[in-house]
Amino acid sequence: MFDSALTGLFQVLMPHHMLVLFIGVFMGIVFGALPGLTATMGLALLVPFTFTMSPTAGLIMLAGIYVGAMYGDAIPAILINTPGTPAAIATTFDGFPLAQKGMAQHGLVAAAVASSFGSLVANIVLAAAAPPLAEVSLKFGPPEYFWLGIFGLTIISTLSSGNPIKGFLAGAIGMILSAVGMAELGGDIRLTFGFPELQGGIELIVALIGFFCLPEILSSVIGQRRTAYAEKMTKPSLNVLWQVISALFRRPALMLRSATIGTVIGFAPGAGGNIASMVSYNEACRWDKHPEEYGKGTIKGVAASEAANSAMAPGSLIPLLTLGIPGSPPAAVILGALMLHGMRPGAELFTDYADITFSFIMALLVAAFLVTLVGCFGSFVFSRIINIPSRYLAPAIVFMTVLGSYAIRNNMLDVWIMFIFGIIGYISNKLKFHPAPIVLGLILGPFVEEGLVQSMLAGKAAGSTFIYMVYRPISGVLIFLCLMSLLWPIFAALRAKHKQAGVDDTVTSGKREGRNESN
Amino acid sequence: MSQTNEPQSAKRLNADLIVGIVSLGLAALVYFSTRELSKLGGLFVDYILVALTVLALITTVKGFIKPERVRFFESVVERNNVLAGICILLLYLIFLPLAGFLPASYAFYFCFNLYLADERFTTRNILVSVFLTAAVVTAFYFIFHHFLEVPLPQGRWFE
Repeated sequence: MFDSALTGLFQVLMPHHMLVLFIGVFMGIVFGALPGLTATMGLALLVPFTFTMSPTAGLIMLAGIYVGAMYGDAIPAILINTPGTPAAIATTFDGFPLAQKGMAQHGLVAAAVASSFGSLVANIVLAAAAPPLAEVSLKFGPPEYFWLGIFGLTIISTLSSGNPIKGFLAGAIGMILSAVGMAELGGDIRLTFGFPELQGGIELIVALIGFFCLPEILSSVIGQRRTAYAEKMTKPSLNVLWQVISALFRRPALMLRSATIGTVIGFAPGAGGNIASMVSYNEACRWDKHPEEYGKGTIKGVAASEAANSAMAPGSLIPLLTLGIPGSPPAAVILGALMLHGMRPGAELFTDYADITFSFIMALLVAAFLVTLVGCFGSFVFSRIINIPSRYLAPAIVFMTVLGSYAIRNNMLDVWIMFIFGIIGYISNKLKFHPAPIVLGLILGPFVEEGLVQSMLAGKAAGSTFIYMVYRPISGVLIFLCLMSLLWPIFAALRAKHKQAGVDDTVTSGKREGRNESN
Repeated sequence: MSQTNEPQSAKRLNADLIVGIVSLGLAALVYFSTRELSKLGGLFVDYILVALTVLALITTVKGFIKPERVRFFESVVERNNVLAGICILLLYLIFLPLAGFLPASYAFYFCFNLYLADERFTTRNILVSVFLTAAVVTAFYFIFHHFLEVPLPQGRWFE
């Protein structure tokens, strides 16, 4: 295996393959960065270009696109509060506040470094332990998906620590929205109100653009007539690179935990980067000594989200390469590309086609380094985008939101949904009813529903739904994590109160001692 | 002057009550729209409806007992700006399928750009807006229509 890996690495480092990889990374970043275009779309569009190439060069290019897109989606998330793909939703929580503070470059560099780190860890796992991990991935049944979805939802208690009831109410509204369209099980058409276009459900990107991007423009650029998109101008400098890189490497636990979460969620087929980034963000916030910094603009939040969603990409290739089960939509496109080049997933990929397979894996690894370079040095350019006066920037952003919403399904209804969600997002922001949990519910609703309905059917057949859903090792761990995550804010509040009481006692006793001394 | 700048909505709104009542309305709408679903199709919706109703009721009750009050618009100018912005976007969306992608987008981009400028109708502003409109809209048209082959709205008026 080591020989194959080394051969693969040499293949990737050949000049023409490096050029192909760089083009792939660049295209991936562009596709990830434009709201409405996704990694899946980028891969699907560029697969035909790889037909004329050798299998190695073709797969190297696809690896570059995939890794590039996983970083690219962070750029609009940080700069304009619009995740390029749903996987970057948690990146907006801290990325955009950072940009507002004039620290867009900090966010962009943190995203690039964390993305590369996440990708690196997941690739090592992919290269070293793909076959045994693939077997574990098969242990993910409906109950595990249900509890994974619920675990993702517990992030609401972190996001809305000030008013959890309103947060969970928003989450419930999001889950109702996720029920729009045809039911996966049962086939019922639900809540379409006579619009046949809604049978496919509400498109996630449309909701993200509506709830995150439009309200910000309506509020700051149009409403308050702010001349610049951010409150403070960003001044990129080389110092920021070192500051951010050293700050992140002083937090190995955060980086490693996020990368591990991304890899594990990645190899559970279907879970995807959306859940990975949210779970990772939640855990980073929970384990941090200063959870109050999250949501106000900290590079730790950006790093947690980006390391996880980038680690998810190679993670999702574990069941693909070993079992032929794509762990994510982009992995499904890669599966198609493999088949077109005459390679069938399974053991023979690691024996008969070992050179090509390891070239692909090593390309993912090298692409991660390229992302660091492009991300770090590109941050000098990208971060200046929000310094452009808002009268020039805002029309372009609004135009792109309309175009992005339309392009997903070539459908005007999606544009109207984006517009309506934008107005709702603006009103709800004003009413201190933040829309992030609505989007969270919309993302996780299908997982929870599918897991719940399938578990209930299987549980009934097995004799007891409760036993079927609870008495399983992975379910047990997830239930424990759900409880921990839900109760953590209460525990943290009590701990803070206790600490405050301690400080107050010290101050009071100090004053008393002072008075006694003066007496 | 300051009095004219104070909009009617400057009085603080009961955010909890509004959110609670709207959510209860949504729950009622979903309830009456999903009564004919099959058992499998309605299972998840029913569970979420219960949660939505309970949470909406708690929020409504909180609105009566300990309401969170918010000011919607800080000034009349802000309100007018937001409404004007929404109207421009609304007109764009209405005209997009009628006039087609290019004409509607050129008009929207030009108007929106000019609307956001401090001094609107100076020659310089108009020229800058024309240049930007032509460059950005045409560039995106080529990317989406020719490279990505997205079938953009043709416009019913020109069919």
